[in-house]
Amino acid sequence: MEPNDDPQLRQLLREWQVPGAPPSLDAKVLGRRRSWWSFLLSGQIHVPVPVGFAVAAALVVMTAITVRDHRRLPAQPARPLFNLRDFQPVQNIQVRVIRSNYANE
Amino acid sequence: MTEPAFQAAYHSHKDVLYRFACRMTGSAAAAEDIAQDCFLALWRNPQTYDPSRGALRAFLLGMARNLVLKRWRTQRPHDPLEDESLICGPLDLEGEERAQTVARALHTLPPLQREAVILAEYEEMSLEEIASATECDLAAVKSRLHRGRQNLRRLLAPLLEVKGSTYGTK
Repeated sequence: MEPNDDPQLRQLLREWQVPGAPPSLDAKVLGRRRSWWSFLLSGQIHVPVPVGFAVAAALVVMTAITVRDHRRLPAQPARPLFNLRDFQPVQNIQVRVIRSNYANE
Repeated sequence: MTEPAFQAAYHSHKDVLYRFACRMTGSAAAAEDIAQDCFLALWRNPQTYDPSRGALRAFLLGMARNLVLKRWRTQRPHDPLEDESLICGPLDLEGEERAQTVARALHTLPPLQREAVILAEYEEMSLEEIASATECDLAAVKSRLHRGRQNLRRLLAPLLEVKGSTYGTK
Protein backbone atom coordinates (compact mmCIF):
# COMPACT_ATOMS: atom_id res chain seq x y z
CA MET A 1 0.00 0.00 0.00
CA GLU A 2 1.18 3.49 -0.74
CA PRO A 3 2.12 4.98 2.62
CA ASN A 4 -0.36 7.52 3.79
CA ASP A 5 1.79 10.38 4.96
CA ASP A 6 -1.03 11.75 7.04
CA PRO A 7 -1.75 9.55 10.07
CA GLN A 8 -4.33 12.03 11.26
CA LEU A 9 -6.35 11.59 8.09
CA ARG A 10 -6.03 7.82 8.33
CA GLN A 11 -7.20 7.85 11.92
CA LEU A 12 -10.16 10.03 11.03
CA LEU A 13 -11.13 7.80 8.08
CA ARG A 14 -11.10 4.77 10.39
CA GLU A 15 -13.84 6.36 12.46
CA TRP A 16 -16.32 5.35 9.76
CA GLN A 17 -16.80 1.67 10.44
CA VAL A 18 -19.08 -0.53 8.37
CA PRO A 19 -20.33 -3.85 9.80
CA GLY A 20 -19.66 -7.11 8.02
CA ALA A 21 -22.09 -8.89 5.75
CA PRO A 22 -25.51 -9.50 7.34
CA PRO A 23 -26.73 -13.08 7.97
CA SER A 24 -29.41 -12.60 5.30
CA LEU A 25 -26.63 -12.67 2.69
CA ASP A 26 -25.77 -16.25 3.69
CA ALA A 27 -29.29 -17.38 2.90
CA LYS A 28 -29.31 -15.46 -0.37
CA VAL A 29 -26.00 -16.84 -1.60
CA LEU A 30 -25.75 -20.30 -0.05
CA GLY A 31 -29.48 -20.98 -0.33
CA ARG A 32 -29.66 -20.07 -4.01
CA ARG A 33 -27.25 -22.74 -5.16
CA ARG A 34 -29.50 -25.77 -5.28
CA SER A 35 -30.20 -28.49 -7.79
CA TRP A 36 -32.78 -28.15 -10.56
CA TRP A 37 -35.16 -30.68 -8.99
CA SER A 38 -35.04 -28.79 -5.73
CA PHE A 39 -35.80 -25.61 -7.64
CA LEU A 40 -38.75 -27.32 -9.36
CA LEU A 41 -40.15 -28.34 -5.99
CA SER A 42 -39.68 -25.18 -4.02
CA GLY A 43 -38.16 -22.57 -6.31
CA GLN A 44 -39.43 -19.06 -6.80
CA ILE A 45 -39.19 -16.81 -9.80
CA HIS A 46 -39.54 -13.07 -9.89
CA VAL A 47 -41.85 -11.80 -12.59
CA PRO A 48 -42.03 -8.10 -13.44
CA VAL A 49 -45.48 -6.65 -12.69
CA PRO A 50 -46.26 -5.67 -16.33
CA VAL A 51 -45.38 -9.17 -17.52
CA GLY A 52 -47.49 -10.72 -14.76
CA PHE A 53 -50.46 -8.55 -15.71
CA ALA A 54 -50.04 -9.39 -19.40
CA VAL A 55 -49.94 -13.13 -18.69
CA ALA A 56 -52.97 -12.92 -16.37
CA ALA A 57 -54.94 -10.90 -18.96
CA ALA A 58 -54.05 -13.38 -21.71
CA LEU A 59 -55.26 -16.27 -19.53
CA VAL A 60 -58.55 -14.51 -18.80
CA VAL A 61 -59.15 -13.75 -22.49
CA MET A 62 -58.31 -17.32 -23.54
CA THR A 63 -60.64 -18.74 -20.89
CA ALA A 64 -63.45 -16.42 -21.97
CA ILE A 65 -63.04 -17.40 -25.64
CA THR A 66 -63.01 -21.11 -24.78
CA VAL A 67 -66.15 -20.82 -22.65
CA ARG A 68 -67.95 -18.78 -25.34
CA ASP A 69 -67.07 -21.27 -28.11
CA HIS A 70 -68.16 -24.16 -25.95
CA ARG A 71 -71.57 -22.55 -25.34
CA ARG A 72 -72.12 -21.80 -29.05
CA LEU A 73 -71.98 -25.47 -30.13
CA PRO A 74 -75.45 -27.14 -29.94
CA ALA A 75 -75.63 -30.22 -27.86
CA GLN A 76 -75.91 -33.22 -30.20
CA PRO A 77 -77.14 -36.61 -29.09
CA ALA A 78 -74.55 -39.24 -29.13
CA ARG A 79 -75.30 -41.82 -31.86
CA PRO A 80 -73.29 -44.83 -32.96
CA LEU A 81 -71.61 -44.69 -36.33
CA PHE A 82 -72.86 -48.18 -37.33
CA ASN A 83 -75.02 -50.94 -35.97
CA LEU A 84 -73.70 -54.48 -35.62
CA ARG A 85 -77.21 -55.92 -35.60
CA ASP A 86 -77.34 -55.75 -39.44
CA PHE A 87 -74.09 -57.59 -39.84
CA GLN A 88 -74.42 -60.84 -41.91
CA PRO A 89 -71.64 -63.36 -42.61
CA VAL A 90 -70.77 -64.05 -46.27
CA GLN A 91 -72.62 -67.12 -47.65
CA ASN A 92 -70.42 -68.24 -50.59
CA ILE A 93 -66.76 -67.61 -50.75
CA GLN A 94 -65.17 -67.91 -54.19
CA VAL A 95 -61.43 -67.92 -54.08
CA ARG A 96 -59.78 -66.49 -57.15
CA VAL A 97 -56.03 -66.78 -57.63
CA ILE A 98 -54.41 -64.03 -59.59
CA ARG A 99 -50.95 -64.69 -60.76
CA SER A 100 -48.45 -61.98 -61.26
CA ASN A 101 -46.58 -61.46 -64.53
CA TYR A 102 -43.34 -62.55 -62.94
CA ALA A 103 -44.67 -66.02 -62.22
CA ASN A 104 -45.19 -66.73 -66.02
CA GLU A 105 -41.63 -65.87 -67.00
CA MET B 1 -15.35 -25.01 -8.26
CA THR B 2 -16.29 -27.52 -5.59
CA GLU B 3 -18.87 -26.84 -2.91
CA PRO B 4 -16.31 -26.70 -0.05
CA ALA B 5 -14.03 -24.42 -2.08
CA PHE B 6 -16.91 -22.08 -2.81
CA GLN B 7 -18.02 -22.04 0.81
CA ALA B 8 -14.48 -21.25 1.93
CA ALA B 9 -14.22 -18.44 -0.62
CA TYR B 10 -17.58 -17.07 0.44
CA HIS B 11 -16.80 -17.03 4.14
CA SER B 12 -13.35 -15.54 3.54
CA HIS B 13 -14.43 -12.68 1.31
CA LYS B 14 -18.07 -11.89 2.04
CA ASP B 15 -17.30 -9.16 4.58
CA VAL B 16 -14.69 -7.48 2.38
CA LEU B 17 -17.08 -7.42 -0.57
CA TYR B 18 -20.01 -6.21 1.46
CA ARG B 19 -18.04 -3.45 3.21
CA PHE B 20 -16.54 -2.26 -0.07
CA ALA B 21 -19.93 -2.15 -1.80
CA CYS B 22 -21.50 -0.49 1.23
CA ARG B 23 -18.85 2.22 1.36
CA MET B 24 -19.03 2.76 -2.39
CA THR B 25 -22.82 2.92 -2.68
CA GLY B 26 -23.74 4.21 0.77
CA SER B 27 -26.57 1.67 0.85
CA ALA B 28 -26.71 -1.58 2.83
CA ALA B 29 -29.38 -3.04 0.55
CA ALA B 30 -27.39 -2.25 -2.59
CA ALA B 31 -24.26 -3.69 -0.99
CA GLU B 32 -26.06 -6.93 -0.19
CA ASP B 33 -27.36 -7.21 -3.75
CA ILE B 34 -23.91 -6.56 -5.19
CA ALA B 35 -22.19 -9.08 -2.90
CA GLN B 36 -24.85 -11.66 -3.73
CA ASP B 37 -24.47 -11.08 -7.48
CA CYS B 38 -20.69 -11.45 -7.25
CA PHE B 39 -20.79 -14.76 -5.41
CA LEU B 40 -23.53 -16.23 -7.57
CA ALA B 41 -21.57 -15.23 -10.68
CA LEU B 42 -18.51 -16.98 -9.26
CA TRP B 43 -20.56 -20.09 -8.52
CA ARG B 44 -22.14 -20.19 -11.97
CA ASN B 45 -18.99 -19.36 -13.93
CA PRO B 46 -15.97 -20.31 -11.81
CA GLN B 47 -13.82 -20.52 -14.93
CA THR B 48 -13.90 -16.72 -15.20
CA TYR B 49 -11.47 -16.58 -12.28
CA ASP B 50 -7.91 -17.25 -13.36
CA PRO B 51 -5.64 -17.71 -10.30
CA SER B 52 -2.58 -16.84 -12.38
CA ARG B 53 -3.92 -13.30 -12.83
CA GLY B 54 -4.22 -12.46 -9.16
CA ALA B 55 -5.85 -13.23 -5.86
CA LEU B 56 -9.49 -14.18 -5.58
CA ARG B 57 -10.12 -11.18 -3.35
CA ALA B 58 -8.95 -8.79 -6.08
CA PHE B 59 -11.06 -10.66 -8.64
CA LEU B 60 -14.20 -10.45 -6.51
CA LEU B 61 -13.58 -6.81 -5.66
CA GLY B 62 -13.16 -6.12 -9.37
CA MET B 63 -16.55 -7.71 -10.02
CA ALA B 64 -18.13 -5.72 -7.20
CA ARG B 65 -16.52 -2.57 -8.50
CA ASN B 66 -17.94 -3.12 -11.99
CA LEU B 67 -21.42 -3.59 -10.53
CA VAL B 68 -21.07 -0.46 -8.42
CA LEU B 69 -19.98 1.60 -11.42
CA LYS B 70 -22.80 0.13 -13.50
CA ARG B 71 -25.28 1.34 -10.88
CA TRP B 72 -23.59 4.71 -10.79
CA ARG B 73 -23.90 5.09 -14.57
CA THR B 74 -27.56 4.09 -14.42
CA GLN B 75 -28.39 6.47 -11.59
CA ARG B 76 -26.22 9.38 -12.71
CA PRO B 77 -25.63 9.04 -16.45
CA HIS B 78 -24.26 12.56 -16.78
CA ASP B 79 -21.83 12.57 -13.85
CA PRO B 80 -18.20 11.72 -14.66
CA LEU B 81 -16.55 8.76 -12.95
CA GLU B 82 -13.34 10.68 -12.69
CA ASP B 83 -13.01 14.42 -12.30
CA GLU B 84 -9.37 15.42 -12.08
CA SER B 85 -10.18 19.06 -11.72
CA LEU B 86 -12.44 18.56 -8.73
CA ILE B 87 -11.22 20.48 -5.70
CA CYS B 88 -13.47 19.94 -2.74
CA GLY B 89 -14.19 22.52 -0.07
CA PRO B 90 -14.67 21.78 3.63
CA LEU B 91 -17.92 20.15 4.69
CA ASP B 92 -20.49 21.78 6.91
CA LEU B 93 -20.38 19.71 10.10
CA GLU B 94 -23.23 21.19 12.05
CA GLY B 95 -25.13 18.55 14.00
CA GLU B 96 -23.30 15.62 12.45
CA GLU B 97 -21.18 12.88 13.98
CA ARG B 98 -17.61 12.44 12.87
CA ALA B 99 -18.25 9.04 11.28
CA GLN B 100 -21.17 10.45 9.30
CA THR B 101 -18.98 13.30 8.14
CA VAL B 102 -16.29 10.90 6.97
CA ALA B 103 -18.90 8.88 5.08
CA ARG B 104 -20.26 12.02 3.47
CA ALA B 105 -16.77 13.18 2.55
CA LEU B 106 -16.01 9.88 0.85
CA HIS B 107 -19.27 10.07 -1.07
CA THR B 108 -18.34 13.49 -2.31
CA LEU B 109 -15.34 12.02 -4.12
CA PRO B 110 -15.71 10.87 -7.73
CA PRO B 111 -16.17 7.05 -7.82
CA LEU B 112 -12.70 6.21 -9.10
CA GLN B 113 -10.98 8.25 -6.38
CA ARG B 114 -13.39 6.84 -3.81
CA GLU B 115 -12.69 3.21 -4.69
CA ALA B 116 -8.92 3.79 -4.59
CA VAL B 117 -9.15 5.38 -1.14
CA ILE B 118 -11.51 2.71 0.20
CA LEU B 119 -9.36 -0.17 -1.03
CA ALA B 120 -6.16 1.41 0.28
CA GLU B 121 -7.33 2.84 3.58
CA TYR B 122 -9.98 0.39 4.70
CA GLU B 123 -9.04 -2.88 3.01
CA GLU B 124 -5.30 -2.15 3.23
CA MET B 125 -4.64 -3.35 -0.29
CA SER B 126 -1.34 -2.69 -2.03
CA LEU B 127 -1.18 -0.50 -5.11
CA GLU B 128 -0.64 -3.62 -7.23
CA GLU B 129 -3.71 -5.28 -5.76
CA ILE B 130 -5.80 -2.17 -6.35
CA ALA B 131 -4.54 -2.00 -9.92
CA SER B 132 -5.50 -5.65 -10.40
CA ALA B 133 -8.96 -5.17 -8.91
CA THR B 134 -9.70 -1.99 -10.82
CA GLU B 135 -8.04 -3.17 -14.03
CA CYS B 136 -5.91 -0.10 -14.50
CA ASP B 137 -2.21 0.69 -14.33
CA LEU B 138 -0.22 1.58 -11.24
CA ALA B 139 0.28 5.20 -12.22
CA ALA B 140 -3.48 5.73 -12.47
CA VAL B 141 -4.03 4.15 -9.07
CA LYS B 142 -1.34 6.35 -7.49
CA SER B 143 -2.81 9.43 -9.08
CA ARG B 144 -6.38 8.63 -7.98
CA LEU B 145 -5.24 7.83 -4.47
CA HIS B 146 -3.24 11.03 -4.23
CA ARG B 147 -6.09 13.20 -5.50
CA GLY B 148 -8.59 11.37 -3.33
CA ARG B 149 -6.55 11.95 -0.18
CA GLN B 150 -6.00 15.59 -1.08
CA ASN B 151 -9.71 16.12 -1.54
CA LEU B 152 -10.46 14.32 1.72
CA ARG B 153 -8.04 16.58 3.57
CA ARG B 154 -9.88 19.60 2.21
CA LEU B 155 -13.31 18.14 2.89
CA LEU B 156 -12.44 17.08 6.42
CA ALA B 157 -10.31 20.09 7.24
CA PRO B 158 -12.63 21.16 10.07
CA LEU B 159 -12.00 17.83 11.79
CA LEU B 160 -8.27 17.76 11.22
CA GLU B 161 -5.74 19.84 13.07
CA VAL B 162 -4.73 22.69 10.84
CA LYS B 163 -1.14 22.49 9.66
CA GLY B 164 -0.38 25.81 8.09
CA SER B 165 -2.87 28.05 6.39
CA THR B 166 -4.68 25.62 4.08
CA TYR B 167 -4.93 21.97 5.04
CA GLY B 168 -4.02 19.40 2.44
CA THR B 169 -2.24 21.69 0.05
CA LYS B 170 1.29 20.98 1.21
